[in-house]
Amino acid sequence: MDVFGNLIAGFQTALSLHNIYLCFIGCLFGTMVGVLPGIGPLAGISLLIPATYGIDATGAIIMLAGIYYGAMYGGSTTSILMNIPGESASVITCVDGYRMTQKGRGGAALFISAWGSFIGGNLSILGLMILAPLLANFATRFGPPEIFAVLVLAFILLGSLGSGSFFKTMPMILLGMFLGTIGMDPLTGSFRFTHEVKDLYDGIGFVPVAMGAFGFGEILTATEESLVRIIHKVKMRELLPTREELRASWGPIFRGSGLGFLIGILPGSAHVLSSFVSYAVEKKLSSHPEEFGTGRIEGVAGPETANNAATGGAMIPFLGIGIPTGPATAVMMIALMIHGIRPGPLFISEQPQIFWGLIASMYIGNMILLILNLPLVGIFVNLLRIPFRILFPLVLIICLVGTYSVSASTFDLLVLLGSGILGYIFRKLKYDLAPFILALIIGPLLEVSLRQSLMRSAGSFSIFWHSPITLTLFGISSLLFLWNLITTLRPKSTWEKALDEGQDKYK
Amino acid sequence: MIKDRVGGLIFLLTGFYGLVYSRSLPMGRWNEPGPGAFPFGLAVLLAFSGITIIARAKSKKEENQKGKGWEFLRNLITPLLIVLLTLGFILALEPVGYVTSVMVYLFILFLGICRYKLPLAAGMSVVFALGSWYLFVKVLGVQLPLSFWGI
Repeated sequence: MDVFGNLIAGFQTALSLHNIYLCFIGCLFGTMVGVLPGIGPLAGISLLIPATYGIDATGAIIMLAGIYYGAMYGGSTTSILMNIPGESASVITCVDGYRMTQKGRGGAALFISAWGSFIGGNLSILGLMILAPLLANFATRFGPPEIFAVLVLAFILLGSLGSGSFFKTMPMILLGMFLGTIGMDPLTGSFRFTHEVKDLYDGIGFVPVAMGAFGFGEILTATEESLVRIIHKVKMRELLPTREELRASWGPIFRGSGLGFLIGILPGSAHVLSSFVSYAVEKKLSSHPEEFGTGRIEGVAGPETANNAATGGAMIPFLGIGIPTGPATAVMMIALMIHGIRPGPLFISEQPQIFWGLIASMYIGNMILLILNLPLVGIFVNLLRIPFRILFPLVLIICLVGTYSVSASTFDLLVLLGSGILGYIFRKLKYDLAPFILALIIGPLLEVSLRQSLMRSAGSFSIFWHSPITLTLFGISSLLFLWNLITTLRPKSTWEKALDEGQDKYK
Repeated sequence: MIKDRVGGLIFLLTGFYGLVYSRSLPMGRWNEPGPGAFPFGLAVLLAFSGITIIARAKSKKEENQKGKGWEFLRNLITPLLIVLLTLGFILALEPVGYVTSVMVYLFILFLGICRYKLPLAAGMSVVFALGSWYLFVKVLGVQLPLSFWGI
């Protein structure tokens, strides 16, 4: 595997004017989406899917990936300056970030946050470009039993690590898988749960559901709240941290990079989890843990690096074996499928220009984001002055037109509306929507792999423990399931309660 | 906990629906599972999850719900209005055309929900309707239903 040679080829693709422009648009839009509370990266990616119809697959994924990691940069801005997390992964940054602003060190916090995100982002891309092809190579040995085993493990991990208890997340996964069965059965061609509605013969569209649940549903929830905004101004000369702050940040930045990258590979709320874990680690390692919460730079450097590093980690299973482990990668998968490409073990070998073009563009994107988030941070802060009363009708229009543009179908708009209502209801009930969307997208693959496995084995379940790979994966799944059962029955520890409170605050 | 009970009920009802309708599909055999087998299994698990969630909710200590009902209903008004308005927009889109329907949609949103004054709401709805038409149709090339006045 010639990583260096492939990367050079990737830069040749990414450095075209067209792709640089798309990368810039994605990063800019992602930063805006990250800055604006009420519109998350998921809604941002969903809203821009229709804009990718007229461009090639490489350009499409470059732009959408730009929104994904761009939002992680932008989310810290409001956390630090206003004590309002721009998106869920920046909740913990509010704790020390805002305190630093109150002490007049908001500029330094913004600098370290952007700098840490840059380092973490680049290190995680390095990990991605080495590990994804290795994983893809390994996965070419997978047959239906192995794919089934991987997906079962992915769902159980999602339930274990998602925001919410395992026994609240699993029903959302089951619901998503159940809705994924609507339409034509992939193996026999018979129709299921369509009730003779022709629009349902192809199943429920992913785009209207994603845009409905995340775009429309988020707006319905946000219109209940009125945000009183006190925006602290930051001058350019206040952006630079002191030598002490820089010295104190290096450790958290490198630790955050490693932690975020590893946690990002796991299904679930990787960005939120990585930022909380990083904060907990820095507090534990600090010689002054009692000062955390009063404006420690480590409390900003570690979490913000970790949540960006998680982006690269999350792309590994998505690009390497075609299993999105988070909602953002799930929606990016939808965008690729619209272009006729399905990520999987053969994706990297069959579409190297897309994979390596994306890798190279992520390096370029991180540079762009450093420039956008440091000297130009004032422009994004001013976005917060746009009244939400003007913003939300425009977001609704984008959701509606974006959905209509897929297949010019009023039925899809009704699905969008229904998904929006469902998204609103589940948010009120404190259920996580991301596992639902993931299960809707990859549930059909789980069903097909199960049925194909049973067909191969003439109905014998022993096919699932003949291979060492499936045996190992099912073994891990069983242990995880037992662990979840035990943790549900025992009282929660302090850090588990803190994680739940942080995630609930943003749901 | 009312939230858990409502959530449990949603899963239970969905599971029940799945159990009833998947039985009308061929189940097949173990060596050739039919189209009904997987949804049936999911429906069983969903119904079981729903029952478990409701049972756990009943065993938890009930929070003080005084006043929360009214607060819940008050918070529901704006989202409900947006949903009804959006439904109207969806139904009017193809018969009436994009520009006309979005203009009316935005006007009612700006006036009724966002509480802007009439001239401002009217002005903004015209500007945003025409601006969005230009962006989607002319710049992005999206095909949208024409209004009676040609665009």
